[in-house]
Amino acid sequence: MKKITLLLMSFALVFSIEAQTYVQENFNTGIPVLWNITDAGDTTGDSWYSGQIDGDSLDGTNAAIVDSDAQGNGPHLIETLTTPVFDASSAVFLYLDFDQYYNNYSTDTAIIEVFDGTNWIEVLNQSTDIGAFNNPNYKHIDITAYKNANMQVRFVYDDNDAWAWFWVLDNVHIYNSLCNNPSNIAVASVTESSAIISWTPGGSETSWEVVVQPAESGLPTGSGTTVNSSPYNVVGLAVSTTYEICIRSNCGIDGFSNWICGSQFTTAAAPAPITFTEQTISTTGTNRAVVDMNGDFLDDIVSINSTNINIQEQQIGGGFIEKNITTPAADFTPSWSLAAADFDGNGFTDLLYGAGSGVTFMKANADGTAFTEISGSQDIFSQRSNFIDINNDGHLDAFVCHDVEPNVYYINDGSGNLTFYQGAQYDNGCDAEPTEIDLIGASGGLGIYCSGGNYGSIWLDYDNDGDQDMFIAKCGGEEARRTNQMHTNNGDGSFTENAAAIGLADPMQTWSSAWGDYDNDGDMDVFVGASSGTHKLMRNDIDTSGVFTEVTSGSGILTLTDTGIENVTYDFDNDGNLDVASNGNILFGNGDMTFSVNENIIPNGGSFGDLNNDGFIDAFGGSIYMNDINTNNWITINTIGTTSNINGIGARIVLETSSGTQIRDVRSGDGFRYMNTLNSHFGIGTDTSIISITITWPSGIIDQILNPSLNQTLTAIEGENPLSVDEFLVNNLILFPNPTSHNLNLSSSYNFDKANFSIFDISGRLIVKGKFESNTIDVSKLQSGNYILKISNNNVITAQKFIKK
Amino acid sequence: MVKYYSSFLITIVSFGIFSCASDSEYVPDPEPETIVSPVVFNIENVPYQSLSEYNFFEGELKNLEPVYGVLPYSLNSTLFSDYAKKKRFVWMPENSTASYINDYSSLDFEVGTVLIKNFYYDNVQPNNNTKIIETRLMIKKETEWDFANYVWNDEQDEAFLTEDGSFVDLEWIQDDDVKSTNYRIPSQSECFTCHNKFGTPVPIGPKPQNINRDFLYSDGNKNQLEKWVEYGYLNSSYPTIINSTVKWDDTSLPLDLRARSYVDINCAHCHNEEGYCEYRPIRFAFNENDNLINMGVCVTPDTNIDNSLTHIVAPNSPNESVVYFRMKSTLEEYRMPLLGRTLEHEEGVRLIEEWINSLTTNCE
Repeated sequence: MKKITLLLMSFALVFSIEAQTYVQENFNTGIPVLWNITDAGDTTGDSWYSGQIDGDSLDGTNAAIVDSDAQGNGPHLIETLTTPVFDASSAVFLYLDFDQYYNNYSTDTAIIEVFDGTNWIEVLNQSTDIGAFNNPNYKHIDITAYKNANMQVRFVYDDNDAWAWFWVLDNVHIYNSLCNNPSNIAVASVTESSAIISWTPGGSETSWEVVVQPAESGLPTGSGTTVNSSPYNVVGLAVSTTYEICIRSNCGIDGFSNWICGSQFTTAAAPAPITFTEQTISTTGTNRAVVDMNGDFLDDIVSINSTNINIQEQQIGGGFIEKNITTPAADFTPSWSLAAADFDGNGFTDLLYGAGSGVTFMKANADGTAFTEISGSQDIFSQRSNFIDINNDGHLDAFVCHDVEPNVYYINDGSGNLTFYQGAQYDNGCDAEPTEIDLIGASGGLGIYCSGGNYGSIWLDYDNDGDQDMFIAKCGGEEARRTNQMHTNNGDGSFTENAAAIGLADPMQTWSSAWGDYDNDGDMDVFVGASSGTHKLMRNDIDTSGVFTEVTSGSGILTLTDTGIENVTYDFDNDGNLDVASNGNILFGNGDMTFSVNENIIPNGGSFGDLNNDGFIDAFGGSIYMNDINTNNWITINTIGTTSNINGIGARIVLETSSGTQIRDVRSGDGFRYMNTLNSHFGIGTDTSIISITITWPSGIIDQILNPSLNQTLTAIEGENPLSVDEFLVNNLILFPNPTSHNLNLSSSYNFDKANFSIFDISGRLIVKGKFESNTIDVSKLQSGNYILKISNNNVITAQKFIKK
Repeated sequence: MVKYYSSFLITIVSFGIFSCASDSEYVPDPEPETIVSPVVFNIENVPYQSLSEYNFFEGELKNLEPVYGVLPYSLNSTLFSDYAKKKRFVWMPENSTASYINDYSSLDFEVGTVLIKNFYYDNVQPNNNTKIIETRLMIKKETEWDFANYVWNDEQDEAFLTEDGSFVDLEWIQDDDVKSTNYRIPSQSECFTCHNKFGTPVPIGPKPQNINRDFLYSDGNKNQLEKWVEYGYLNSSYPTIINSTVKWDDTSLPLDLRARSYVDINCAHCHNEEGYCEYRPIRFAFNENDNLINMGVCVTPDTNIDNSLTHIVAPNSPNESVVYFRMKSTLEEYRMPLLGRTLEHEEGVRLIEEWINSLTTNCE
């Protein structure tokens, strides 16, 4: 009876042990005394030890290390680490598992031998790099053939007298297993959400457990998904994520094998909502622009050298015709930036070349066949340049960032004269107070930091008060030099720098920013592109809290770690949500301040416009990247100013569909170096009609086009579709006294605190504008006559007529 | 016999000396004359409108013959300026001395110190003569360094204070080659761009690491630091061992020391902790650039100029290295250094190419 019981018990004992461990060591507290270190070679004291190499290890804890590098160029190392003796004679399968990082140099070797009872037998001979810090090579070696009662395993490092690197060893595990690990784990057919894995069984088992987990999560602690055949399709994975596969054999009554993990793979990114097809086209000179040159509103490709403007002119009906226009020798070429606009209003586009020591204008003649070269005598280290009507007199002026001095600008008198201004004059170096700040051009200057640091200027109306402000992305040097600036247009010819007050005074290193209404709530937000460091996303909350709020975290933009100098915004997939093009990558907007990133789909640095007039934005950077388009709808507005500048630069366009509102500001010069289309493009997704397009020109004139056709270009001439103010007259906005000779009071059933107001005469001309402080406006200075008071509150317009006595 | 004789002689001679004159007629030896520097320098009035007003040089101005007090010096490796040659001098007011701070920082100069750097070319065409282009001064004022640039006239007899930058078209013969350039004379703001640390103007050249070398003075060869001490221009407390740059073009010296010295003087003024481009992941100053990562080896650039330029320095692969591309480029928007050159420095490029090819690191 006793005998039988004993047998049963031992049977149970044997079969309840999954694996019997003979040696298991992680070297965290040292190399145990029962292990043997043989310190041979030229010197002693340079053999195996427990530790890390400059804080690096295989799993964050100590490992066993032999380091030839640390000994310098001299001693020959022959160092052996030997396990204690163990009795493996009864093992079914005998495995030697360990992690390693062997950093080979040249003639050095890392060899593993086992003692088979009589001799030392080599089981692994390594002479090339394998493994890495924090991502070791895992070895699983079957040494069943050598099992015996007096077994040892040794790790032999010989640097063959070279000044070599090192061998890091950890998690040595020698054990008897009744169930062998699977091997040869492979991954194939990786998509955004799935992968097919396959493996070789460890033995005769027909079942396994699989865990697919984020890379380097460590060995699974629980069980996995039971899988009964290889290959196996893993589904439900997240996009753009690095995973690893862990698998173990299920040997039934013999238990499980060890988990083995590895075979990292990364799922694909979500496919881009839009793709581009590259098309070659030849240009001569330095590529700088995609912009209409000949007044037909079809975007052309423009490349420059000092005596030639090379235009690939887009033709109605498709394709390009190459034109080379010889110019007088330009004193300065657009090495740093190019801006374009029709600044003399003759119907043909003029150019501004921004160079490292000056600025040259190329003014097109009356039929675009020749140019006049105008170069200033001033020494300007140009960066981004723009055309913009700074003083709102109807004539386009030019602004040029200066890298090492205060910014410069040129005021256009409308008669062909450009007058140079520089914001502040300093005596003898930057420590002195400015001797004069120009009061005529743009009172206060437009970025007067003495040693410059001005990189990416962009003009836009951020506070929705109907005039153009300027944001400057700044970079380099001490914090004060590189803190970004916002020059708020006061509407009276002067500007005030107030970035700190509105939460934009950021010293991050940036060369350009992309301004657009990313959440379609009627005001311009900004993606500040990092030249070094991380990008930032700021939401415009001026109308509620008076500041911009950082919304980077959770927006998805940090998926893009690529830095650079070019950042602009367009709707590339025409879904009605603005996207950001950043250094060859596109962040596709979801319309709610979140973005998904697709990398490397357009040129790194280049220009944007519609190169085949199909209503989708294309790119050009040496070759054309033609938008492969989709079925989304769109409309493009070509603005022609009459009272305002001919390009309509500075106009605010508001597009309304049943889905909501989108806005654009017409601008010349965005990103850093290149010039993009002057046409205003909107994608409208699956909307099948447009309710209205409202254009507020710099002059104050408002045009409104109702129900324009989709999928076409709309030419809007200033003043031809005047907004019928009658529609906005409201009964509950009572003005008193009316007629008035001095003050106009407003009834208080309205909340118009901080709202903008404008006063128009009956011909629609803007006379006065301002912001409400109280419910009274002083109209004493108006001439006698009939007027309309228009109040604009967050893109909602109300109006009322009054008479001035 | 002889012994007694000579001691007797000595005794007689001794008596002779002490009995020649009485105390009341004792005339002391005359004092040596104190030499005063004839340089004209009134700190309230500088910078002067023309170079001759300082009286730094004697004889014809263009000979650049320094007066007493104007001490010539040179550097181990010098900045490349379109192959212009340089003559450097330092002048200090009476009883002024500079002090050592550390090997890699400019000496601490006293108020009134003037650093003088003349830029010239030999064999200028068509007359094959020497032409001095500009003389740049840095003047240590009460609060900080001031810059003053003097542009030479065609007659080469005067140079005038100029704040604006300008260009000079030049053709000259160098090593049997005709070279030409549109030489850039910097504006005041351009001086500051390189010569500043976070807004404070600083000299670049006169660091112990750079001036620790011999110079052939009129009275012979001497180590410059020792000479400056002798001259009264440098406080003698500085260490005996100074971690020094070397002549980049001395091919007998180790390649990496030469490359590091070249990169220090041509690039570190911006690519250091407080330069304009401190936000770029490279540190080119000599005391930091013995580290491969600081030299940009296997570092991915912040700005992707082209996909073929994979790293700032790609070991053994100059054509994939941003540094090599920028050193070769003469385009304003790509070239490095950004200011100070318009031509490619062929010899310097070859040095760096050789250095890149000597690297064996695996970028992984």
